[in-house]
Amino acid sequence: MKKYLAIIFATFLIVLAACGDSASNEDIDTIVFADAGWDSIRVHNSIAQTIIEEGFDYDTDVTSGSTATTIQGLRNGDINVYTEVWTDNIRDLYEESIDSGDIVKLSVNFDDNDQGLWVPRYVIEGDDERGIEPLAPDLKTVEDLKDYPDVFEDPEDPGRGRIINAPSGWELKDNISEKIEALGLDETFNDFSPGSDAAIITSLVDAYNKGEGWVGYYWAPTAITAQYDLVLLEEPEYDEAQWEEDSTTAFPPNDVVVAVHKDFPDQAPEVTEFLEKYETSSELTEEALNYMEENDADPDEAAIWWMKEHEDIWTSWVSEEVAEKVKKALD
Amino acid sequence: MSVFPEEWTMNVGQYVDDFVRNLSIAWAPLFDFIFRVATMTINAIDDALMFLPWWVFVIIIVALGWYFKSFIWGIVFGAFIFLIGSFSLWDDMMTTIAIIITSVFISLLIGIPLGIWMAFSKIFSGIMRPILDAMQTMPSFVYLIPAIFFFKLGNVSAVFATLIYAIPPVIRLTELAIRGVPNDLIESAESFGSSKLQILFKVQLPQGLPTIMTGINQTTMMALAMVVIASMVGAKGLGEQVLVAINKIDIALGFEAGISIVFLAIIIDRITNGVADKFQKHRRIEQ
Repeated sequence: MKKYLAIIFATFLIVLAACGDSASNEDIDTIVFADAGWDSIRVHNSIAQTIIEEGFDYDTDVTSGSTATTIQGLRNGDINVYTEVWTDNIRDLYEESIDSGDIVKLSVNFDDNDQGLWVPRYVIEGDDERGIEPLAPDLKTVEDLKDYPDVFEDPEDPGRGRIINAPSGWELKDNISEKIEALGLDETFNDFSPGSDAAIITSLVDAYNKGEGWVGYYWAPTAITAQYDLVLLEEPEYDEAQWEEDSTTAFPPNDVVVAVHKDFPDQAPEVTEFLEKYETSSELTEEALNYMEENDADPDEAAIWWMKEHEDIWTSWVSEEVAEKVKKALD
Repeated sequence: MSVFPEEWTMNVGQYVDDFVRNLSIAWAPLFDFIFRVATMTINAIDDALMFLPWWVFVIIIVALGWYFKSFIWGIVFGAFIFLIGSFSLWDDMMTTIAIIITSVFISLLIGIPLGIWMAFSKIFSGIMRPILDAMQTMPSFVYLIPAIFFFKLGNVSAVFATLIYAIPPVIRLTELAIRGVPNDLIESAESFGSSKLQILFKVQLPQGLPTIMTGINQTTMMALAMVVIASMVGAKGLGEQVLVAINKIDIALGFEAGISIVFLAIIIDRITNGVADKFQKHRRIEQ
């Protein structure tokens, strides 16, 4: 009996050792992408996956999780490619990962995104169809909020307004708090931390459906900014010195980068070369999100539609030979 | 690969979605009223707790520990609270305690009468059991986010979600407690001409009190377990600190906030257990 156990155990060890080997930094068969939970990263994943599968003959897979866990996965090498790292939202973590050499930035996917404090358009202009009067007709800039604390009333603290800040733990949250204080908005507004991204969206949708006032942090391009008619409150142009001092300017451009695990360039040099050229824009990304919204499509369908629509863009990222292979597969 | 026939698929979720949205608009005044009462309660408890000088609060905890457990336990509890303060999480702890007290208070207010009703009506008990099972197993995120439609972002949505998760034990154990009272006790009470209400308040409830206390203890512990999840809809307190730590992979803060929750759990568990033991002893002496 003992002998059998020993043999089973030994076999087990050999199998394990073999598995360990294939996972080391020689070659990889399957390229794993990170899905951190929002639609645009899924579209970008799907575009890159299609090109890699059809053009470079790799298998691909997607691992989902929160931003923090997927970044950790990328650092460990459990995830190979991350198509949308919002660097400013996780500034410390990102810089630490780059400095330690765990991850490598290949390209800037897009950096022309908008972020800041948004209000629904009907708050400023009203909405005749739904019979909503303009609640804050002269609201244009973040500073103008001062005049309208009652439009954005904090239900837990009547008499004061409520500005919904970024999700807990995001770097930008401190900047927004600084801004609120520096502009003196904290005299009439509460700086509310909503906990999670989902909570921001739900409170926006709730207010939007009821035609109530709402002001809070969000960013574009996203499915939410594509679906709801929102206005970004204006701020003075970004200025580094002023931003460092009290954050009272517009947000600095937030680089959304394509990053990979440190071993990836050696494991798949030709794919790395492709990803180094991967570059879109907010507008291009938003087109895919709009398509999803209008046609009730999933990210994969949107990616295929986008690739057919913008053939000139993605074919410039790869060699002609690869482009031909992918094109054939799309038809 | 076999495929489920397409013509048999249906969109049940869509009806629930419509129902939730319409309900939140149609019954807005009711939810508004609940919202106001709950907010006032939480704020009042929070203000009262924050009004206490920190050393008074530590002394109260030591005294409670001493009275219900032993002097040593009292000192340990005091040290725990002191440690939480030294992590500079004092305000967060108070907010968490306020949310838990409110949740547990409402749980008891609703749960104990429901438990009594279940003990007396087999039909009602049969209806409630699967509902309670569903409340305990439905993943909390499913009702956490829609709660915002009814109770806005913040502490009230958190209390609502906590309530759904934490109320089943007190209902179940209240039912069990009342059903568990020996028949001869009730018969003898009846033979003295007691009315049903008298039997309930003078025999069944006092006899069942230790079991009910166990239910209260479990409800409290489950409420504490919800504080981190509840912070995802904007509840403040220790849960929010844990959430911040998770989002930043800040292990130091995560440990401090996490261990603070554990400390609170130990204190609340031991004290409510101590209360249950006191009742038990009290009852034995009477008998």
